[in-house]
Amino acid sequence: MIRLGWSRTALKGAWEQPGGRRGLLLLALIVIVALVGPAFLPDPASQPDLIRGALLPPGFGHPFGTDQLSRDVLSRVVHGARISLSVALLAVALSATLGCLVGMVAGYFGGWTDAVLMRLVDGALAIPRLFILLLLIAVWDHIPLAALIVVLGATGWFGTSRLVRAEVLRLREQEYVGAAVALGAPRRRIILRHLFPNALAPVLVASTLAVGDVILIEAGLSFLGLGIRPPTPSWGAMILDARSTLFTAPWTGAFPGLAIVITVVAVNLVGESLRDALDPRRL
Amino acid sequence: MRAPLWLVRVGLVAFPSLVPLLTRSPQAQGVPADHGTIVIAVGTLATLPVPTVITGRWNQDVSDLLFLKLARLGPELATGGDKRFVPQLAKSWTRRDSLTLVFDLDPRARWHDGTPVTSRDVVFTFRRTLEPGVDPQRALLLRYLASVTEEGPQRVVFRFSRAYSEQLYDAVYHVQPLPAHLADSIPYARFATSSFAQHPIGNGPYKWVALVPGQRLELVANPDFFLGAPKLDRVVFVEARDPEAQLNLVLSGTADALENVVPVTNIPRVAENPSFRMLQVPSFTVSYLLFNQLSRSDRSLPHPILADSLVRLAIALALDRATLVKNVFGDYGAVPYGPVAILSWVRDPKVKPLAQDTARARALLRSRGWVDTNSDGILERNGVPLVLDLNYPVTSAPRKQMALGIQEQLRRIGIKVELVGMEGAAWNEARNRHDFDIDFSSVGLDPSPAGLIQSWSCEGLSGTNVGGYCDPRVDSLLNQGIFARKDALPIWRRAVQQIEQDVPAVFIYAPIYAFAVHRRYAHVNIRPEGWWAALGEWSVTPGQQLERDRASP
Amino acid sequence: MPGWLFSRLLQAAATLAAAIVVLFFLMRLAPGDPLAQLAGERQMSLQEVEVLRARYGLDQPLTSQFSAFVRGVIRGDLGTSISQRRPVTRILAERLPATLLLGGTVLVLNFTIGIWLGVLQARRKGSRADRWLSTLSLTGYATPSFWLGLILVWLVAVRWHWFPAGGMVDPLRSGESGLPRMLDVAHHLVLPVLTLTIVSMAVTMRHQRTAMLEVLGADFVRTARAKGLDEGPVIWRHAWRNALFPIITLFGLWLPVLVTGSVFVEGVFAWPGLGSLSQEAISGRDYPLLMGTALLVSFTVVLGNVLADLAYFYLDPRVRR
Repeated sequence: MIRLGWSRTALKGAWEQPGGRRGLLLLALIVIVALVGPAFLPDPASQPDLIRGALLPPGFGHPFGTDQLSRDVLSRVVHGARISLSVALLAVALSATLGCLVGMVAGYFGGWTDAVLMRLVDGALAIPRLFILLLLIAVWDHIPLAALIVVLGATGWFGTSRLVRAEVLRLREQEYVGAAVALGAPRRRIILRHLFPNALAPVLVASTLAVGDVILIEAGLSFLGLGIRPPTPSWGAMILDARSTLFTAPWTGAFPGLAIVITVVAVNLVGESLRDALDPRRL
Repeated sequence: MRAPLWLVRVGLVAFPSLVPLLTRSPQAQGVPADHGTIVIAVGTLATLPVPTVITGRWNQDVSDLLFLKLARLGPELATGGDKRFVPQLAKSWTRRDSLTLVFDLDPRARWHDGTPVTSRDVVFTFRRTLEPGVDPQRALLLRYLASVTEEGPQRVVFRFSRAYSEQLYDAVYHVQPLPAHLADSIPYARFATSSFAQHPIGNGPYKWVALVPGQRLELVANPDFFLGAPKLDRVVFVEARDPEAQLNLVLSGTADALENVVPVTNIPRVAENPSFRMLQVPSFTVSYLLFNQLSRSDRSLPHPILADSLVRLAIALALDRATLVKNVFGDYGAVPYGPVAILSWVRDPKVKPLAQDTARARALLRSRGWVDTNSDGILERNGVPLVLDLNYPVTSAPRKQMALGIQEQLRRIGIKVELVGMEGAAWNEARNRHDFDIDFSSVGLDPSPAGLIQSWSCEGLSGTNVGGYCDPRVDSLLNQGIFARKDALPIWRRAVQQIEQDVPAVFIYAPIYAFAVHRRYAHVNIRPEGWWAALGEWSVTPGQQLERDRASP
Repeated sequence: MPGWLFSRLLQAAATLAAAIVVLFFLMRLAPGDPLAQLAGERQMSLQEVEVLRARYGLDQPLTSQFSAFVRGVIRGDLGTSISQRRPVTRILAERLPATLLLGGTVLVLNFTIGIWLGVLQARRKGSRADRWLSTLSLTGYATPSFWLGLILVWLVAVRWHWFPAGGMVDPLRSGESGLPRMLDVAHHLVLPVLTLTIVSMAVTMRHQRTAMLEVLGADFVRTARAKGLDEGPVIWRHAWRNALFPIITLFGLWLPVLVTGSVFVEGVFAWPGLGSLSQEAISGRDYPLLMGTALLVSFTVVLGNVLADLAYFYLDPRVRR
């Protein structure tokens, strides 16, 4: 089966590159901390002492200090990792699915379907993503988390669809498809067996990189006050909360910011090494 | 093509040294030693500071510098009677009878184009303000004003339909006269976009120079101002929407003053800067958690949870208001008693609001049938969980922070609060639509307690009383207060006390604003009812002028 | 050529039209109401809101509002801003130069320094310089622009007083023009440009590096080298021209960034451009202003793509058919 072998090759290839190895290790560390950490840390919403416990510098009881409401910053950063990562992963999964679907349909059927779909994609691409997000989120009074994920996913598939369509077009011309059709294989099977796994490689790379983008976008939206609602911790929202105390109590904003940088760097390292590993010239 | 990276680097570093050298402004001759300029950092720049089309405090602040009222409040901010006001456009007034006030305008008063201010201007502006659809809010406040007429060019006669102690207040406080000779030919519908509105001609201590929207608004002193020419020759308002940007304008020396240093953690950063002085300005603002006592879906039915006055009382008791205020405002806030501002003359400093008592709060809820049957930490009654939405505008950082504290304190007695942060427009819309459980409201009150009618009486139900609160005892007390000939104070206080006991809202904070002002200014006076209105009295201490003070306007 | 160009322009117009329709109906769905924002400070009663609503024509059905708008656009009138009570076109015209200045400078820096660094990385592939630059550019890309902006403001403007902390000009030097004013603006421009450039340069560098690497391995380059040409012309005349294509695409994609001017950076630095304007317009539910801004942005995106295609056309003889 092409599929299993292909993904194993991809990961192995990524691992073999220095950047990829670092990225994978870093990402694994972040994921482990996000999954396991919350069990050992205090409730991120708890406000033990509003008058004397607020804005404490990093120290024994609070490795990352406390914020304006005396909440533990480490706990919030770790819980925030969970939120940011799951939002990004789910949103990107949605984008990838939508992009693949649309791209495949457009690329395979061609003609009017292709023209209409790609025109729509062009139209959507004409409006900057942040703008659409700002407008869509403004429609919602207080956007629930699920809706935020859907909105993020629904605005990120346009590029992927173009990519998939291009791959489909390219592969369509190749010999083995012609051979399969000549041998009488049904259309669906051709797509699934031959086109789908091969088009998946660039999508995987693009999606991995997109995770980093979504983390940044979600942080940006939360920073504008539009994303994840309090008291759910989100790194962008933490920076927003910390904005007023960034200089008097820098730990409140420094740690979430660093968390974003490290996570996005890790994701990008993995994504880029995947891309190099899946480079058709090396397979 | 060797991209000269080194040149770019050099350029970036060289800029700071080159710019000051090349942009030195010319030294001016003959500027008196106590004159100067002031640059004020504000959150929102005025866009239309013209009477009858003013919206928002920022426009009112600038309008106060351009347009005078007939008289202004005295230092005690009293609103009753005829005596405790300070003449401005009107140099004196007399009372003909219990329904008639006569104002004599100061003959020295002039519009910025030189024309004298006459009674025609006053009459015109009142007529314009009371036209239907122009300003329903002010029309409501002036409902007992029967007529405003001219008696000669310098005399205006106000006739009221009923006798009450705040007739003079109503005559002078709400309306700033416009120049009839320039404005009366412009129909109201086109007034906001007219050339007059873009370059207003007023009669105040400052004259309009220019507005660059979103950036800067500039005013220049009126040297012929009849109450004394200002010593600060230029006033420039600079906009920075973001509190950090505002602060940076001040700390980097671009701005000389900042209204409302927020949040409170930034105050030490300014205070420790030796060039600046912090001033505490108590406010007319009161913020409260307003309970919706009617059902959100059907206003004819009571709210399933909050119609119960004991539940509301339990919520009030569960909150440690003093701690919340201390956490968010430090020393720059107080817990109000009832919907009364710190500065209101009605305020009784001896009365204290309820202290936190979580045991009693829990007992009250239990007595009303709220029990945690499934141990999830949230109380239920008949299968309905005690979950309430708390609406607040995300643009208000103090309310946002305090909402988190409130959420946590109520969680401890088993009430789940969902924080619903909305954009300012959406939040206001939801409020007006009665689509809230608890609304975190913040209101700038008028100096007169008569304003309580709008939000806390049964009469106000069709207007700004969006919580559905109605207690006839309060209505009767408020009306008694308005028409009391003397000793109105105990009546107002009883009304406030009754409101506090009914718990239509938890009155949670009254901010004291922190202003940062450069030390070189003298005669600094920030009026609580109009922060910058007294800029005409400010000056620069001789010997401390900066370069910007010496540049001629 | 004209045939191809004509159909391309037609496509562009269709795209723009689709974008307009989507935007219009998206915004009307918002529960907030522009008048509520006006009422913000005073918490107006419902009657007052109704009066103003009628005045602005917001009580008409959606379809007639839309057709009124389209007619206005054709006339060149984008309506009146509800929060500022001035024509939208004038507001956009006022804020556009600031954004163009910011975005344009970032673009120029990106496509000069970014390209040069990308080529440098490709030429020295695998070396320490290459790895360092990759790390730095990746870190810059991963840094949230608003966070970086805040840090820069604090360090450079507040602590060290090298550059102003915000705004576009010194508020006191309003009467200036010519060279002093230009220098003043430049002085204020440095920090926002630095923030945006750091964050965005990574993409340019990376694309250029990849494209250059592909080209450097190509046959024609080896031929040029074999012919004994100097390294300089090989790189810049032969190789680079071909590596330009992804950059041209990037340029087309960058134009919307140019116009939106980074909502975040403009907010942090109080830079009076379209980015901060759009955010204000959204939270104020100022429909006319929002539509105008969105229109302008979409127009520039479409324009950018058309320009990019034109550039492709002239650079690549294969496209000329």
